[in-house]
Amino acid sequence: MNGNAVVVGIGESEYYKRGGAQETEFQLAVKAISRAAEDAGLELSEIDGLVSYMDNRNDPLRLSAALGMKELRWAMTPWAGGGNNSAAAIQCADAAVSGGYASYVVAFRALAQGQFSRFGSHFSGMTNAAGPHAWTHTYGLISPAQECALHTKRFMHDYGITQEALCDISMACYANAQRNPRAVRYGSPLTREKYHDSRWIVEPFHLYDCCPENDGAAAVIITTPDRARDLKGEAVPILATAQGIGPNIGIDSFQGRWFPGMFYEGVAETIWQRAGIRATDVDVLQMYENFTGPVMMSLCELGYCEPGELQDFVANGALEGPDARLPFNTSGGNIGEAYIHGFEMINEAVRQVRGESTCQVDKVDLSFAVGGPGYAPGSAVLFGRD
Amino acid sequence: MHPAAPCCLDEISIMANRYLGDSFLLPALEPDNRHWFTNGQLHVQFCNSCDAARYPAEDVCFRCQSTDLEFRAIAGEGVIESVVEVQHPVHPLLADRVPYNVAVISLSGAPGCNAIGNIVNSDETDVSIGQNVRAIFEKATDPESGEELLIPNWEAV
Ligand SMILES: [Zn+2]
Repeated sequence: MNGNAVVVGIGESEYYKRGGAQETEFQLAVKAISRAAEDAGLELSEIDGLVSYMDNRNDPLRLSAALGMKELRWAMTPWAGGGNNSAAAIQCADAAVSGGYASYVVAFRALAQGQFSRFGSHFSGMTNAAGPHAWTHTYGLISPAQECALHTKRFMHDYGITQEALCDISMACYANAQRNPRAVRYGSPLTREKYHDSRWIVEPFHLYDCCPENDGAAAVIITTPDRARDLKGEAVPILATAQGIGPNIGIDSFQGRWFPGMFYEGVAETIWQRAGIRATDVDVLQMYENFTGPVMMSLCELGYCEPGELQDFVANGALEGPDARLPFNTSGGNIGEAYIHGFEMINEAVRQVRGESTCQVDKVDLSFAVGGPGYAPGSAVLFGRD
Repeated sequence: MHPAAPCCLDEISIMANRYLGDSFLLPALEPDNRHWFTNGQLHVQFCNSCDAARYPAEDVCFRCQSTDLEFRAIAGEGVIESVVEVQHPVHPLLADRVPYNVAVISLSGAPGCNAIGNIVNSDETDVSIGQNVRAIFEKATDPESGEELLIPNWEAV
């Protein structure tokens, strides 16, 4: 295990439905970072590193000025990967403080989809299928939901998995969101009937298999254990992180080596080797669900079960609530809490170690958060007690 | 790197109208995709050093890193590896085309290579995983150059 870096503060803005935020996206970012600093007991001016991930619109120089930072010693994003890099952002911040390049690094995500657009939804104005999109858009394969559906359909076909497995995953997110007043879906429970009655987006994904669009921001502050001792925030060690290989978004993801799949084998090998544990040792899991289908494949690739066991593994409420067989997306996840490109799950994973979740699991020693899945490179982070 | 000249053009199946509508997005022609979208025959990139096939084309062989690569004609045959029905249109030009299908097709003669396409002219029962398909070409005109496009698509055998 590593433990050379810790999360010492977490913060988030309020979470809204798409277009619901009165603040600008940049204001949401500053609010989440300010609250994380307040949680840590750190002056904003002491922050000296900023990490986000793919298509971050909140420029580090603009942010450093707005936050009154004295110095910016570390500013970066991981390559590509979309929301897959929510955990890789933690790895970059860990590397910065473990290597001594910076002292207090913020990893964050802010998005206001009412002001901009969700990942991959900027296609309505397209007039041709250019570059790598020629191979896919020409044939009406345009959105991430459609791409993930093709992988999911083949996986379900190969292992005889039914629609109920997808329903089970979505229902777990909704059920857990009912315990979380921050959640956008708080007060809007989902039933099996409502799930099956909802419209198809792209078969096999119903409306409730897809995460919504949201506005909001989340942030954490990462430092060394030594520095954390002088701060009031409860430090949560980063035990291990990993990024993994995979194909590019689009046509490459359908080629023989990768199809069907979510490209998490490499992440699994690295993180379990670094942590010295197995998937089944983890007490609580936060897993990015852009759509429910990728969760099924990722659970298998990360070592939770064999594909042939998946249907039973998620059935009968096995993922719902604090006493679940596998406590999963305890804040509601992208589907139930808010789609902050998975960063809201980083905060929730930290909260579980601190004992502060609204769906708190008993005696959490190992709290695992998985970025993505669906777009490489995938990433994952394990928090816990040393 | 030049594809072989198309042969047997009179024998290929051609659709006068596109599956997703004649006004739907056309591919922007580039050196590495022109052969696919204009030849009326399927061409895939192969490595002359190790024979690995790569779709779509890349600058370097993924297996041996050779740059001695060429496009070779393959039979216009394949198998449906996955297929989904799209109900929610994400582009305005698709609003009256839903539901439509999108499939992953493994290309016979190019191991490991899968193309995206639509299954056209086929019964619903034929639009399923494992179904053998053959290429059919949608005729269109490139708005930039006026060049004729022959966009590969698929029908059940
Ligand atoms: Zn080669």
